[in-house]
Amino acid sequence: MFRTPLLNFEEKLGANFGEFAGWEMPMSYSSYQEEHISVRQGAAFFDLSHMGRLRIRGAQKEVEHLVAKEVSRASPGEMIGPTAFLTDKAGFVDDVMLYKVSDQEFLVVTNAINREKVIKWIRNNSSLDVEDLTFQLVMIAVQGRKIWDFLERIDLPFLRFMLNSKLEGRDVFLLSRSGWTGEDGIEFWSTPDVAESLLSSFISRGIKGAGLMARDSLRQEMGFVLYGEDIDETVNPIEARYWVFSLEKEFIGKEALVDSLKQGVNKLRVGFKLPKKLRVIPRNGSTFKIMGIPVGRVTSSSFSPYLERVIGMGYVDSKHFFLGGSMDVEVRGKDYNVKLSDFPLLK
Amino acid sequence: MLRDLLYTESDEWVRIEGNVATVGITDYAQKKLRDIVGVDLPKLGTKVRIGESLAVVESVKAAADIFSPLSGEVVEVNQELTSTPELLNKDPYGKGWIFKLRVSNQDETKKLLTAEQYSDKIRGEQ
Repeated sequence: MFRTPLLNFEEKLGANFGEFAGWEMPMSYSSYQEEHISVRQGAAFFDLSHMGRLRIRGAQKEVEHLVAKEVSRASPGEMIGPTAFLTDKAGFVDDVMLYKVSDQEFLVVTNAINREKVIKWIRNNSSLDVEDLTFQLVMIAVQGRKIWDFLERIDLPFLRFMLNSKLEGRDVFLLSRSGWTGEDGIEFWSTPDVAESLLSSFISRGIKGAGLMARDSLRQEMGFVLYGEDIDETVNPIEARYWVFSLEKEFIGKEALVDSLKQGVNKLRVGFKLPKKLRVIPRNGSTFKIMGIPVGRVTSSSFSPYLERVIGMGYVDSKHFFLGGSMDVEVRGKDYNVKLSDFPLLK
Repeated sequence: MLRDLLYTESDEWVRIEGNVATVGITDYAQKKLRDIVGVDLPKLGTKVRIGESLAVVESVKAAADIFSPLSGEVVEVNQELTSTPELLNKDPYGKGWIFKLRVSNQDETKKLLTAEQYSDKIRGEQ
């Protein structure tokens, strides 16, 4: 198992560790619920060093061929994403964030479980040079509705980044205005010692540590998908209603995607909410039912401390895509009525 | 871990007072489950045999069955857990108790673990 280079530092902060995608990472510090609320009402930091980070060099037209969104029209310093690498059947190889450094250089953030698969896939489908930076640098996100009450404001619009920049006087390899919680925030890649010194300073100003459990409940409120749970190679972006592609260009999987648009799809991703007092979490694989008839399955679910109810997402047969209506979810042999809601569930 | 309690292999604790057994989950169990967000409590009057599943504790990580440590009948459940399931994390041996049983066979208590045996079991898992 891999482990975050910040493990000792975070252990002293009281982190509880657990395994995620082959990495030993902080799952929570005190309680994921408090950490979740900190992001929605204040600010918190996350260690994301498990995420695969790759540097790609070569001809832009080759990158264009691999990625579902348009790359050529973006300017250097722009983040293109979320976007995806697709199979020729338009299933997700991975959903990624792509950073355009120049016409010849890009950075990619992959899901931790897909890092090695993506490296191989890029090499098999292009002559691009791929360098794995994952083990050289840590990745930290600072997220929160009130982040600028805690940090010196940075001069960077949303989804823009800078390389070899400074953050509060310290050298960071990459600094971006981005995140995965639905709140304002930054992400940075740096050496572990720079990260520790920045985090120590943030903590002294009242920014709390948050673990991957809070990250999971936050992304579910927004309706963001997690690879391996909500999407994989058997699901295409239309079924996931994950608009990570552009039809203005050619790329691997486009033909199958266009076919799906023309013919329609059999299943669609939907969000759901349980009644407030019902504290049952339908796990991945639980069945959606209407009048006892199975019409789909749950892929993610969690208790949202912000909405104070159980929420989640899954896929239902497209004929039963009854947004705003209700259906049952079966948990341990019992049926529970849930309301189908569109994303973000936070509304 | 408390000296005066008995324990199970499946991480429940039992406090015996006369013919009534109070049951909860151990501190070790709540730490493994992490943030507990819900509890499915048994109905009053449910008759149960030793080792049967009687309640379910929901954490974000997993749903865990709570097995009855003894045979008997449910005479009380901790309704407070319905609105504040986090009591299971905060006070597993006190306010986080789950249900009380009228014990039908006192001999079964011999099958339970002492505090010492239970701490050996935990050490074996770590």
